[in-house]
Amino acid sequence: MQTASNPLDPEPEIEFRDVTKRFFLKDGRTLREFATAIISRKPWGDEFRALTDVSFTVARGETLGIIGRNGSGKSTALKLIAGVTAPSEGQVFVGGRVSPLIELGAGFHPDLTGRENVHLNGSILGMSEREINEQFPAIVEFAELQEFIDMPVKRYSSGMYVRLGFAVAVHSNPEVLLVDEVLSVGDAFFQEKCHERMHEFKQRGITIVVVSHSAETITSFCDRAIWLDHGRLAADGPAKRVVAEYMATVPHYMEAV
Amino acid sequence: MAANLLGFWRRRDLLWHMTIRHLRGQYKQSVLGYAWAFVNPLSQMIILSFVFSTILRVQPAGDLPYPLFLFVGLIPWLFFSNALSSGTDSVVNASTLVTKVYFPREVLPTAAVFTKLVDLFFGLVILGALMAYYGRLPEATSYWLPLLFGIHLIFLLGLTYPLAALNLYFHDVRFLVGVALTLWFYLTPVIYPVDIVPDKYEILFDLNPNAVFIDAYRRTMLYGEDPDVEKVLLGVVIAVVTFLGGYYLFKKMEKGFADSI
Repeated sequence: MQTASNPLDPEPEIEFRDVTKRFFLKDGRTLREFATAIISRKPWGDEFRALTDVSFTVARGETLGIIGRNGSGKSTALKLIAGVTAPSEGQVFVGGRVSPLIELGAGFHPDLTGRENVHLNGSILGMSEREINEQFPAIVEFAELQEFIDMPVKRYSSGMYVRLGFAVAVHSNPEVLLVDEVLSVGDAFFQEKCHERMHEFKQRGITIVVVSHSAETITSFCDRAIWLDHGRLAADGPAKRVVAEYMATVPHYMEAV
Repeated sequence: MAANLLGFWRRRDLLWHMTIRHLRGQYKQSVLGYAWAFVNPLSQMIILSFVFSTILRVQPAGDLPYPLFLFVGLIPWLFFSNALSSGTDSVVNASTLVTKVYFPREVLPTAAVFTKLVDLFFGLVILGALMAYYGRLPEATSYWLPLLFGIHLIFLLGLTYPLAALNLYFHDVRFLVGVALTLWFYLTPVIYPVDIVPDKYEILFDLNPNAVFIDAYRRTMLYGEDPDVEKVLLGVVIAVVTFLGGYYLFKKMEKGFADSI
C-alpha cells in the first residue's frame, strides 16, 4: 500500500512525537573542565537545540524525504531513527529493522578482506550468520567485486569501498532504509544500479527515509517530504509541494520559481 | 537488565566478528606479528625474575623455582591489565561506528577483552615450556582453573564496561586507568607470595579479586591445594556485584554515546 501517511494510521513504521533534541557543545572533555563547571555552577558547555517539538509519522512502505539547509536537524532526525541517539524530550518509535546507508563502510576494517568485512558489516547491521552466507553471492555480484573479494579492503579504491558497503546494506533485508546523500557515490553505472535498487525497495513496500539538500533527489524519489528549518518542522506534505515551498526561500531560486 | 543481557546474547555472532576484527588489527601492522604476544610476557618474566629472585631473593614456599611461581601470577595479571586498558579505549576507538549504526554497545568492550584471550593463550604456551624446563606437571587440583578464571573474567568485564563508557565522557579516564593499574600491580601478589603480607593488611588482599584469584591459581596449579573457599566466595560476590553494577551503568550511559563523540 502506498498511500500518503495520515496521523490515524494504525501502524506507522516511524513516529516522532514532540521530539526535542538538545546537545551540549563542549569545549573540552577533561575532568578539569568538568570540575570547573561544577564549582562555578555553570552548565557544562553551551546548549544547542538540533530539533524542537518535531512530530511526524511515516507509514509502512512510504518514502519520506527530509529537506532543509545545513544544520537544520536533518542528520539528527536520521540518527534518532537509526537509534544511535535518544531524544531529549518526546518519543521516537521505529517499527522494523533499520539499515542506515550512512557513510557506507563505517564498520569496515582496512586489514580485513572484503569477504571478512561483509561478514562483519552484515553482523553489525543485525544479520545472522546464515543470512549473510545466503546473501553473500548476491552481495559480491552487486558490488562487482568478484576478483577482489579476498583482498584486504585497504587496497580498494574509494569507489570499491562504497560499493561493498552499499551492497551489504541493501542485502541486509531492512524494513526501514535510511539514505543520507549516498546516492551520489560511485560511477554513473553504479549510481544507476543504486537508483534501480532503491526503486525496487520502494516497490517491495520498504519504508525509506532520504535526507538530501538536492530538490531533485527528493521530488523524483519521494512520495512525501518534510522540511526542517532551524530544527522546527516548517512543512509536511506531498514531496513536490514541500520542495517548492523550501526552494522559494532559497534566494538563488527565487526568480526561477 | 535481563532483557538487555538477553539482547546481548542474541548478538553473539557480532561479538565473534568484532573479536576477530580487533585481533586482526592488533598485530597486523607489525613485522613480528603475533610474536609480540610472546615477547612481552617473556621479557617481563626474565627481568622480574632477575630483580626479585636474583637480587632481592624472594623465595616462594615449597622450593618452587621463582620464574614458575612468578609466571603463574604474571600471565593472568598481564591479561587483566591489557584487557582493561584496551577495553577502556574500545568505545572511543569505534566512534565512527557508534555514531552511525545501533548495536548493543557492550559488544565493543567485550570484544576488546576477548581479543586478549589470545595473548593469554600464548602466555600459557610459554608457561607449558617453562614447566617442561623445570620438569614439573600441573597438579591434579588444576581442574579448578577454568572455574576460577571464569569468575575472574566476569570481574574484569564488570570493571571494563563503566570505564569504557566514562572514557567517552572524560578522556582522562584512560590515564587514570593506566596509573591505577600500575599501583594495583604492586598491591597484587604477582611478584611476591601473599603469605608474606602482614596480617593486619590481609583484608586489603581479600577484597582484591586479582589477589584472590592469582593466589588461587598458584595453590591449585603449583601446590596441589584446593583454593581457600571463603576467600574465593568473597571473590565471587565481588565479581558478580561488579559485573551487574558495571553493566547497568554502561547501559545507562549508552544512550548518550553518540552525542558525546
